[in-house]
Amino acid sequence: MSAYGSGYAIDIPRLPVGAMFESVINWLRNNLAALFDIIGDVIDSSVAALSGFLTDPSAAQLTLIACLVIAIGLIRRGQLRLVGVLVAAYLALVLLEALTGAVTVVISSLPGALFIWAMNLFGAAYVYPPLVLVLLLLAALLVTSAVRTASRHQWILAAGVTGAWLLLLIGVYIVGVQFELFAVLIFASLAWFIAGWRLAVFTVLGFLLVISMERWAEAMSTLALVLVATGVAVVFAIPIGVIAAYSDRVSMLLKPVLDFMQTMPAFVYLIPAIAFFGVGQVPGVIATVVFAMPPGVRLTELGIRQVDKELVEAGEAFGAPDIQVLRGIQLPLALATIMAGINQVIMLSLSMVVIAGMVGAGGLGNVVYSGIARADIVLGFEGGIAVVIVAIFLDRLTAAVPRFSPAARAKRMALG
Amino acid sequence: MPAVRADKLYKVFGKRADQAVELLSDGRPRDQLRELNVTAAVIDVSFEVDAGEIFVVMGLSGSGKSTLIRMLNGLLEPTAGTVEINGTDITTLPSNELRRLRSRHISMVFQHFALFPHRTVLDNAAYGLEVRGVPRAERREKARYALDLVGLEGWEDHVPEQLSGGMKQRVGLARALTADTEIILMDEAFSALDPLIRRDMQSQLLQLQARLGKTIVFITHDLNEAMRLGDRICMLRDGRVAQIGTAEEILNAPANEYVAQFIEDVDRSRVLRASSVMEPPTAVLGPAHDPRAALRTMRDNQTSSAFVVGSDQTFVGVVRDGAIGEAGRTGATDLTGLVDPGVERVHPDTTVAELFHRSAVTPHPLPVVDDAGHLVGVIPWTALLAALASGDGAGSGISAGSPPARAEAGAGATQRPVESEEGAR
Repeated sequence: MSAYGSGYAIDIPRLPVGAMFESVINWLRNNLAALFDIIGDVIDSSVAALSGFLTDPSAAQLTLIACLVIAIGLIRRGQLRLVGVLVAAYLALVLLEALTGAVTVVISSLPGALFIWAMNLFGAAYVYPPLVLVLLLLAALLVTSAVRTASRHQWILAAGVTGAWLLLLIGVYIVGVQFELFAVLIFASLAWFIAGWRLAVFTVLGFLLVISMERWAEAMSTLALVLVATGVAVVFAIPIGVIAAYSDRVSMLLKPVLDFMQTMPAFVYLIPAIAFFGVGQVPGVIATVVFAMPPGVRLTELGIRQVDKELVEAGEAFGAPDIQVLRGIQLPLALATIMAGINQVIMLSLSMVVIAGMVGAGGLGNVVYSGIARADIVLGFEGGIAVVIVAIFLDRLTAAVPRFSPAARAKRMALG
Repeated sequence: MPAVRADKLYKVFGKRADQAVELLSDGRPRDQLRELNVTAAVIDVSFEVDAGEIFVVMGLSGSGKSTLIRMLNGLLEPTAGTVEINGTDITTLPSNELRRLRSRHISMVFQHFALFPHRTVLDNAAYGLEVRGVPRAERREKARYALDLVGLEGWEDHVPEQLSGGMKQRVGLARALTADTEIILMDEAFSALDPLIRRDMQSQLLQLQARLGKTIVFITHDLNEAMRLGDRICMLRDGRVAQIGTAEEILNAPANEYVAQFIEDVDRSRVLRASSVMEPPTAVLGPAHDPRAALRTMRDNQTSSAFVVGSDQTFVGVVRDGAIGEAGRTGATDLTGLVDPGVERVHPDTTVAELFHRSAVTPHPLPVVDDAGHLVGVIPWTALLAALASGDGAGSGISAGSPPARAEAGAGATQRPVESEEGAR
């Protein structure tokens, strides 16, 4: 065997590690195909819906967003029950419409003049029931804000949101300005509200640059992919992190698994992901989730373990059940650390974007990948710049979120 | 039924805990358990805490007192033995009932306050009721009341970080009071405070206790604090009980060398009370006594004055030899007209520190008169000095002297007037 000495090399058997993995994958694919199809469909449709919304939203979607902002304001001012009732009624009507078309019947029986002027405003050629329903919800929330709260802030919020919403609709559907420009304004105001004016300025300049490079649609598609991947990763990472914080054994078992997930070259995940889901956005999202999840788990565990033991004991000493200790004491105090974890998840997701582009995930990854494939410096560089802009925006935004945690608010009170 | 009862409690950490309990119950010291690789924190501890009592568990670090207190509310499960709260054995309770018991019957105050930094002072104080599911308005009202009790009105909307150490622990106390449990566990509650604030908090606790009559188990490593607060004190050493008794019992009759060493530095004058240093009254006469016989009694007892008591042991006053000498010339036949009824008299609960002051202005031994007006003992100068000198000397004198007075002082201890406590400072 050996080229050296007199041939006494020790014979090491060849273990079929890769083949074993492959057979596991094949077994899973053959036996759980239905499950993977469902997962694939859910991810595919959510990425598509999100990126559709980010590039070309419908009037109903925009109205729903306005409703959401006003509803959050109302809930923060103690109107949870009423908002719940309104939203439940809205959802019931939507369901009723989807199942029986009852709302359409009702609307058709009413004189068309009642609605048609409003529909014209939103560029709809005929009376569109979902839009009517969401407009009703908006009206109900506005009335609630005006009547049920004595808070001037809520009035300003409701009036401001409604005004912006009207301006947006008129601008897009009547004047005909591109939605991108409004989207930049919306992102910028989000940045201003959460992270301050510096990020708002950066957002305006950066996103305008993306528009001028004609990469807006791809950037939004990438954003959608990253957000969906982050959402899935966080949904798994936080509960796993919590369990690991409670159990030393789970924590011990988890550590090598997380190390494996993080250090395995990310490309490798693409191969089984394609085997399960074919080419497209889904394997991109799955590979991204696997690669990006570990810091979410680790920092959740760390954050919860870092909470002062005496505080947890105090909760227990007053008879709080574990879930109440977790919700009322551990999670709020660990929030800053957990958010740092989510921030890392987002950053790792973005770093996966280009790799995911190789399997046809679309977005900026595709742009960069074709840049590489065609040795096209212009294409590659512009795609890369767009990735950086989206990355900085998301990073600064999520880094600023802990400012809103109860612990941070208390700290500010202590200083002020 | 005692409010809290611990019966042969053991807490041993480690895999072979049960084996260790067996060895320990045979009297093996805990430092000879190395081969089992266990840590014995609490060994064979039994005591009862009566309702309305402040029971202090005192020990140095590593004596197992924190472990002990955590077994009383079930935060830690004993390795062996039982804990009864109001007659219910909590060691066998399922966890949800244990939680219920904690939220309704036992609250806790922590060494490092353990206030929730993300809640306001008011919401911290209301926490116990929040856990219990009391509606927001009601629990806030009760929390406000408790914060008023501890002197924190006006601070409700601040957050803990804005408060000083003493104020933080008042919030901790208010949180325990708001929970409205009859038992409060206090784990080194004042140890993290600086000495002046600590003394303040002790006084405040005693004042509150006089008003609220909670059952308090108080953990401390500070013997002076234990003596000041405790109706009874349990001294722990290396996980075992070294002695349980009132402050005076421990001072006067330390159970062993360890306790004796420990109490060497205690300021005895602030702990010992008249009832434990007084001597049985000598030269006691009835009002109908013949003056000449009275003089003879004084001479026999080598004093210049005698105590006069009525037929039912009621203290009447003091008669001095000078007064009798004068009376001899006027021909009085009994002591009625010669007694000085306005002399200084002291209560059995008066501290020795105060007795010095009173004694200095009185030419004869101080008469000790209880609430019923009976003469229960007297305190000559020599008894005061002996009380300060050492445990042994004073102890022998007292145990012979006044067992009934002792019992009475013990029973009255829970309603001990706070003023006398303050006056002693």
